[in-house]
Amino acid sequence: MATEDAALTRALVALLGALALAACSLPPPYRPPAAGSEPVPPAAPAPPATATPPGGTAEAPAAPAAPSRDYRLGPATQSLVAQARAQVARGELPGASTTLDRALRIEPQNPLLWIEVARLRLAENDAPQAEAFARKALALSAGDPAARAQAGRVLADALRAQRRNQEARELEAQPWMH
Amino acid sequence: MSRSRLRRRLLGAILGTALVALLAAAGWVAYLDHVVTREFQGRLWSVPARVYAEPLELYAGAAVGGDDLEQELRRLHYRPGDPAAGPGLYRRRGGEFDVHTRRVRFVDELRAPVRVRVRTSADGVTDLAAADGSALPLFRLDPLLVGSVFPVHGEDRIVLAPDEVPPLLRAALKTIEDRRFDEHHGVDLRSILRALWANLRAGHITQGGSTLTQQLVKNYFLGDQQTFARKLTEALMALRLEAHFSKDEILVAYVNEVYLGQDGERAVHGFGLGSQFYFGKPVDELDAGELALLVGLVKGPSYYDPHKHPDRARARRNLVLKELADARLIGAAEAERAAQQPLALRPHGGGYVPAFLDLVRRHLKRDYAEADLAAAGLAIYTTLEPRAQAAAERALTRGLRRLDAASRNRDAQLEGAVVIAEPQSGDVLAVVGGRDTGSEGFNRALDARRPIGSLVKPAVYLAALETGRYSAASVLEDAPLELKLGDGSLWTPQNFTRETYGSVPMVRALAESLNLATVRLGLDVGLARVADTLVKLGLERRPALNPSLLLGTVEMTPLEVVEVYASLANGGFRARLRSVRAVLDEHGEALRRFKVEVEAAAAPAAVYALDRMLVQVTERGTGRGATARLPHNIVAAAKTGTSSDTRDSWFAGFTGSHLAVVWVGYDDNRPTGLTGAAGAMPVWADAIASLRPASWDPAPPPEVDERWIEFSTGLATSPGCSSDAVRVAVPRGAALPARSGCAAGGDSLADKVKSWLQKTLH
Repeated sequence: MATEDAALTRALVALLGALALAACSLPPPYRPPAAGSEPVPPAAPAPPATATPPGGTAEAPAAPAAPSRDYRLGPATQSLVAQARAQVARGELPGASTTLDRALRIEPQNPLLWIEVARLRLAENDAPQAEAFARKALALSAGDPAARAQAGRVLADALRAQRRNQEARELEAQPWMH
Repeated sequence: MSRSRLRRRLLGAILGTALVALLAAAGWVAYLDHVVTREFQGRLWSVPARVYAEPLELYAGAAVGGDDLEQELRRLHYRPGDPAAGPGLYRRRGGEFDVHTRRVRFVDELRAPVRVRVRTSADGVTDLAAADGSALPLFRLDPLLVGSVFPVHGEDRIVLAPDEVPPLLRAALKTIEDRRFDEHHGVDLRSILRALWANLRAGHITQGGSTLTQQLVKNYFLGDQQTFARKLTEALMALRLEAHFSKDEILVAYVNEVYLGQDGERAVHGFGLGSQFYFGKPVDELDAGELALLVGLVKGPSYYDPHKHPDRARARRNLVLKELADARLIGAAEAERAAQQPLALRPHGGGYVPAFLDLVRRHLKRDYAEADLAAAGLAIYTTLEPRAQAAAERALTRGLRRLDAASRNRDAQLEGAVVIAEPQSGDVLAVVGGRDTGSEGFNRALDARRPIGSLVKPAVYLAALETGRYSAASVLEDAPLELKLGDGSLWTPQNFTRETYGSVPMVRALAESLNLATVRLGLDVGLARVADTLVKLGLERRPALNPSLLLGTVEMTPLEVVEVYASLANGGFRARLRSVRAVLDEHGEALRRFKVEVEAAAAPAAVYALDRMLVQVTERGTGRGATARLPHNIVAAAKTGTSSDTRDSWFAGFTGSHLAVVWVGYDDNRPTGLTGAAGAMPVWADAIASLRPASWDPAPPPEVDERWIEFSTGLATSPGCSSDAVRVAVPRGAALPARSGCAAGGDSLADKVKSWLQKTLH
């Protein structure tokens, strides 16, 4: 994994260097070939503003980004998640928690693990922590619609467990939840 | 009254008194007997809490290269050899390891010895297999024993079981301290008389006639005071002890009880800990010379302290070696050879982690009384990562040595502290409390509260981003300003370079740590909001609302800085810092588990935008030297900090896998002449570089767009168009003024190519 990434990065750096050079040598400023989703820049630069309001009006908002991530569990964390689920099935919740702790140490950035812990916290009747974990999973899963929807569903469950049904319904109405 | 009656009365009185005296004496002895049995039996099972590090997880893809693995096995005292011969042995062939593990207890499992085959490349583990060849998804090595919590009287020890006491140690103790141990009944009249004679001839006390049993009694029940009554009590107790317990029980108790030295607050007791403390290895791996040194120390641990008085210690060791040879416990040639050896003490910092244990003790104090920790055999499983701890210690020691050599302050040594954590879970991986990493002392990581300088700036910028009125591309004015303070005085902050920079985008003001632009920004946002931001990120106290807060006059310990920066590294979630995973009782049952706890602290989109700016600190700003020291292409977000007159040099930063905070300064608070980049940054980078870090690379939240802007002007641009294009995150759809004629896209072509390549290659 690590070597492949490093090799990929090196290849990219070389490629990007070449592209930058190519761009500089072209007389007109470079324009991306697939400009469909590119916001069109204003023709003349406006004077620098001291503050930029969010959601400006000069440009159309960019289209939703294509999925850039696809989270999966590695074989190690997969086996730990399987073990934790078996422990939950046997009613060994503290044991399951310890097992998932181990998995988190291996892949701390994987939203699927945070979703798993959020579910476990729900099983432990700790809805506030389930909510926090679901929100954390939601933040981590930006760029992976499937993981995001999954995190959203756990979050909705955690909200309902705290009798915050209205918030849960609003969440479920979000387009990305489907 | 007749004479005979008088005589009878007198006799009666004498007899009565004698009877009372006899009864009293019997009662006294019975009392001593009771004390001896109760206390001694109590001591036999009273084991201090043992503290274990996080076990190293092995799995395909784990960043554990062959040399890392071998180092870890050595740390765990595995020996090279034929693994078929038994547990504790491993064989390495190139990148392939065959390990026979020991019986070991984890938080959730007691694992019997097992054979495992691990294949590694230079980068990490490639695969794992059980003895029968079947693939294993993962496998963990033993948790390393890193110390014990023995708070009663500051005594620390590692208790050895009878079968763990080497035969040579038993024999050597008898030879040196009590030759007739196997014959006497607790008190040795012959040696007392001999000592008395020697002392009378010398006119003062030169010899003690105490048996091992008496020494043990003195250690257990009595102090150092020498009175006749004490001596009598000691002798009586020694006799009672021998009456109740076997010679071997007494000898083993002695081995575990004897005082062998002092380490700050901590008293080193017993040969188990003595061996670790002086030589960094278990007692069964000591050679004759090392063992002789420890045995020789019994006579006077401070007089013969090998660290302070190496010549005395050497002479004493050689005397012991000679006596062992005379008693034919070792060969004459071996004694001769060992006497030629240097003391070979453990280099400071190897294995013992007082600063981390200090944190463990404080975290546990929330749940446990100190006394409970000293009770029956608790096992404390911590989040300590020995590799990270070693890397932090090495980086700090080397860095400070280098800085001292270049410093004009010849009469003082720089000090420092390092804390490393895993950002997502809040697990503390390493704590170094000073340059003398192996000794207990002032724990700067936890207790040195110093002004944080520009480390405060991210809180200012985050507060600004959260108002929604600012983005990374917003242009700030870096121009002189004067401020009238509450006490009527005038405050005229300046940039570190004493220059002003005019209109600068926020990303540059932060990356180059411009004071004037930051003060203006902070005043516009409001001091209260900045203080609130610090608190919600994790600072436990609300700082005073002085304008100088914006330049970091607020004082924090390195650990507190970790707490605040963890929320930045964690995408706006605050994870409660954790050093203990679980506490187990002596049967391996979990008494207490500490779970990961997170809490939403700041808006993820604002934190992401801030972190993107902090990346520019290492790419173009004050921290740009750090990236060169990291493995190629590792993205890190960081901030330098320098307090006024360079009294404190700080560096706080994170990659995708590690968060580390480093402080460098003098204990007496004199100026160091070092900026954060000159002092703390190299230490930070060295520590992180050796840990095979992963890049900071979270997915951008849906509320932001990633855009290219010019570092100097803040104008939207593309990498091909401006030489100083930097990537920033701005609110989705934000209107940015653009460099004329430049395509200011969300994604550059480079990004598109990268994502296309990634999709194609996966």
